Amino acid sequence: MRVALYVTCLVDLMRPEIGFAALQLLERAGCTVVVPEGQTCCGQPAASAGQRAIAVELAKKAVAELEGFECVVVPSGSCAEHICNGYPQLLADEPAWAARAQAVAAATRELSQFLVEAGTDFVPDGDFSGSVTYHDSCKGLRGLGIKQQPRELLARLPGLKLEEMSECEECCGFGGAFSVKYGEVSTRIVDRKCESIADVGADVVAGGDLGCLLNIEGRLRRRGDETTRVLHFAEILAGEAAK
Amino acid sequence: MSARQPGAAKHSQAMFFQQRAGDKVRNPVLQQALQKARPLFVGKRAKGVAALAEDGLDGERLRDACAEIRHRALADLDVWLTLFEERALATGAEVLWARDGEEAAALVVALARQHGVRKVVKSKSMLSEEMHLNAALEAAGIQPVETDLGEYIVQLAGETPSHIIAPAVHKTLGEVEALFAENHGRPQKSRNSADIPEMTREARGVLREHFLSAEMGVSGANFLIAESGTAALVTNEGNGRMVTTLPPLHVVVTGIEKVIPTLEDFATLMRMLPRSATGQSISNYVSLLTGTRRSGEHDGPQKTVFILVDNGRADLLGSDYQDMLRCIRCGACMNHCPVYFSLGGHAYGWVYPGPMGSVLTPLYTGIENALDLPQATTGCNQCGSVCPVRIPLPKLMHRLRETQVERGLRPLGEGLAFKAWGWLARQPRLYRLFSRIAARYLGWLSDPAPDGSRGGRRIRIFGLAPGWTVGRDLPVPPGPTFHERYAARKRV
Repeated sequence: MRVALYVTCLVDLMRPEIGFAALQLLERAGCTVVVPEGQTCCGQPAASAGQRAIAVELAKKAVAELEGFECVVVPSGSCAEHICNGYPQLLADEPAWAARAQAVAAATRELSQFLVEAGTDFVPDGDFSGSVTYHDSCKGLRGLGIKQQPRELLARLPGLKLEEMSECEECCGFGGAFSVKYGEVSTRIVDRKCESIADVGADVVAGGDLGCLLNIEGRLRRRGDETTRVLHFAEILAGEAAK
Repeated sequence: MSARQPGAAKHSQAMFFQQRAGDKVRNPVLQQALQKARPLFVGKRAKGVAALAEDGLDGERLRDACAEIRHRALADLDVWLTLFEERALATGAEVLWARDGEEAAALVVALARQHGVRKVVKSKSMLSEEMHLNAALEAAGIQPVETDLGEYIVQLAGETPSHIIAPAVHKTLGEVEALFAENHGRPQKSRNSADIPEMTREARGVLREHFLSAEMGVSGANFLIAESGTAALVTNEGNGRMVTTLPPLHVVVTGIEKVIPTLEDFATLMRMLPRSATGQSISNYVSLLTGTRRSGEHDGPQKTVFILVDNGRADLLGSDYQDMLRCIRCGACMNHCPVYFSLGGHAYGWVYPGPMGSVLTPLYTGIENALDLPQATTGCNQCGSVCPVRIPLPKLMHRLRETQVERGLRPLGEGLAFKAWGWLARQPRLYRLFSRIAARYLGWLSDPAPDGSRGGRRIRIFGLAPGWTVGRDLPVPPGPTFHERYAARKRV
């Protein structure tokens, strides 16, 4: 299967390892992976800020780049959610674009969704051993129904022990621009997440959205926790985390 | 909707959200109160909704049904309101209409004067907060007494409710004990001997005198039932029964959106309202108040007056925000809101807090008077996924953000930054260059590594986004971007 990997702007800049982990996992699942060259940002920050005109332009750009692939895979629940749910709405009133946006939306999968759909004989090559607690990011969970998929994949690593924290579905307080505009409120929210993490005491906090992970890692470090690792599930599955 | 400068705006403090939010986050007593309450709300609702299965009911389908009932009522609101008026009049009640809160408060004051009222007992009504009814009564020399325990506490403290169903949720036991000691003329007890049942008995003793001496009772209504001209009241403390039956005059103040067609509809909504609010399968008291005392009856008011208030509601009909009128005021959205439980309700600056308040406050007091509220959300949709009438709260807040942009209400710099960034994101080559520089720049800002060299792992103060580093480090990118490395790899 020929799939497009949509790396996302945040992974591109802040943690490229996640992109390469996703690439490796997709290839291992037997896909021919293309990284469409012109990709930048899906436009979610503009859409979220109410900057509709800019969001529409960026949606069109991404649709043009991503159409024609059997599948578009995104290692981020929130960007995937924007492509799947946001694009069809943003472009609904433009006859030339509405159907194209819907087609791209229908072909788009968040990484864990795609890998689970790929079948049970997909075995990730990671050799992680230790305990992991999983934070469900809001857009993936409530927007795309991603809950069991990453857990199911992580469970395929024999040395990995999943330990659920309390309130794993609670928002971490990231919220994109919210985390900067309302920094103190955002910090208060992520503090509660850090307490849940401290209570469960796992070696690793994993998630599927880099925004949330940066928020959680940033707060853990500021609180003085230098040891709990904060990783994207793709890094664990691909084995990058062992490095 | 946008051209009008609503009267409600003059009482709103919503423009001070940022400052207030900071104060609330840094208030340890408040944080302690909120921290204690949050899991109770969330846990009770979860249990209450899960228990629906015991009755063979599916919570999600019930939410559909409730949303549909409210939607149907709003689709023909004029018809149901007219029917309600007709049926209520037939039961002997009076029906008055008020354009806004001020007009509604004036009607209550006029009624009080007309009947020689010196004291008014009130059961919980958020609409009366919109009306600033207590202030209006006091200005007319009439004493208003809040009789819901939480409202009573808030009134003693000279505050406003911080939650729509738990008005004193922001107060700790110690604070209430001190307040009671001061107002009930008794010595203050030590923190350890403050006893909630004892304090409740004490408040009840004080309130009983008020119930017996008040000449007027003011209540809200959870629903108005059109087919029978009935006000439905859902309460837990029994004070609502006293307020609506003991004084000779009962005034119901309620928003025009509260009408539903039938008793059958009420029964369905009641499956969800208490469960969403407190997790109860049914509230301790459910009162259906129809008409006045009939001959031969021993209780009930001699006169019932309905005051149906618009105060911005009719403007929402047919607008992008009509769904908001479905709200049945259960409080589930705020109970599941990470922002609400970091701040409490007072930070929001007007009557309604939490997600429903972040939609209603700008709509009822002017979008330009509450710019922060629809922005101060993580978009997590924890509210939308518990709303018993499926109001798409995040979508409505998002629509408000779009409206702010359309009406030029955002800071100039924000718009320009988005334009520049939007343009850059459509020039992939330039964008690549920009990210490469950004990655190096962030690396350069990082703390020194333990050996003193550049290339540490975190940024402690980030001038471009100080809001981030106020409470968090910023992890540092490793250097070359994904696309940079991928291109290099392909060249090999």
